[in-house]
Amino acid sequence: MFQALAYPFPTLMIDQVVEIEPAKSLKARKGVTANEFFLTGHFPAEPIMPGVLTLEGMIQSACILVGESLTRGRVQAALEKVERVRFKRAIVPGDALEFWVTLAEKKEDLWKFKGKAQCQEETAAEAEFLLKVTVREVGFEI
Amino acid sequence: MMENREIQSILPHRYPFLLVDRILELEPGKKGIGLKNLTAGEWFFHDHTSYPPPLLLESLAQVGGIILASKAREENPQSRFIGLFAGVSDFHWQRCPGVGESIILKMELSKSLASLFRFQGEAWVENEKIAGGQILLSFVRTTPGNSGSDAAKGS
Repeated sequence: MFQALAYPFPTLMIDQVVEIEPAKSLKARKGVTANEFFLTGHFPAEPIMPGVLTLEGMIQSACILVGESLTRGRVQAALEKVERVRFKRAIVPGDALEFWVTLAEKKEDLWKFKGKAQCQEETAAEAEFLLKVTVREVGFEI
Repeated sequence: MMENREIQSILPHRYPFLLVDRILELEPGKKGIGLKNLTAGEWFFHDHTSYPPPLLLESLAQVGGIILASKAREENPQSRFIGLFAGVSDFHWQRCPGVGESIILKMELSKSLASLFRFQGEAWVENEKIAGGQILLSFVRTTPGNSGSDAAKGS
């Protein structure tokens, strides 16, 4: 699964994909631990997961959903626009973070997603963003 | 229950070696249950696919350190201390936990001899016991005005 997402260490923000419905929705998990590089400075003696990395997790979940929705060609998804993000609760070490993304709209190559990050049934962040999806056909060349 | 910021006020450990995230239950000086999440971005997942066994021992030992240190703090909030890993005996692994799993770290004091404390430690993932055995910690309290520079580490 993670070869599909060409994210090397250290920005991979997803541990497991729990549920997947191609072209519809996806649920992924990440366990937040004290032993992560960004928590040393964010903040000293007061570890809180940076909001942008929560957003990153939702975007990566959406990228996996795109990859699983298209069966042909070489798929690339890039972030086009973030419409709205709201952070509602601090995420701290020990939380089990769940990312839910649903495909809301498809306009040509722009796919719009709604994302939600939950910890223990509580909504920690919500986001709406657009990915630009390009598919390069791969086949035999004559 | 103890959040990570409180843990950091007791343990001197920091990244990349702070290997316990949260304390779920605590009876100072007796027993405690800790939580450690394993996630993909951690440094040891570079070349391992599972949590390296020695680090699991360290996680348990850190929970043990919190159990002893919280007792010392309870008796004297200004107390300074230094806790060190002293040994392991009869520790068995059923399997090693991997990315995405949450480890429950259970530690219970079984015997204390002067500054040596023997704990019965167990690591669980959900309802499966994955490892367990005895862990020995040495824990020394140093009086506040003591000039020993090492003592500051424990505060």
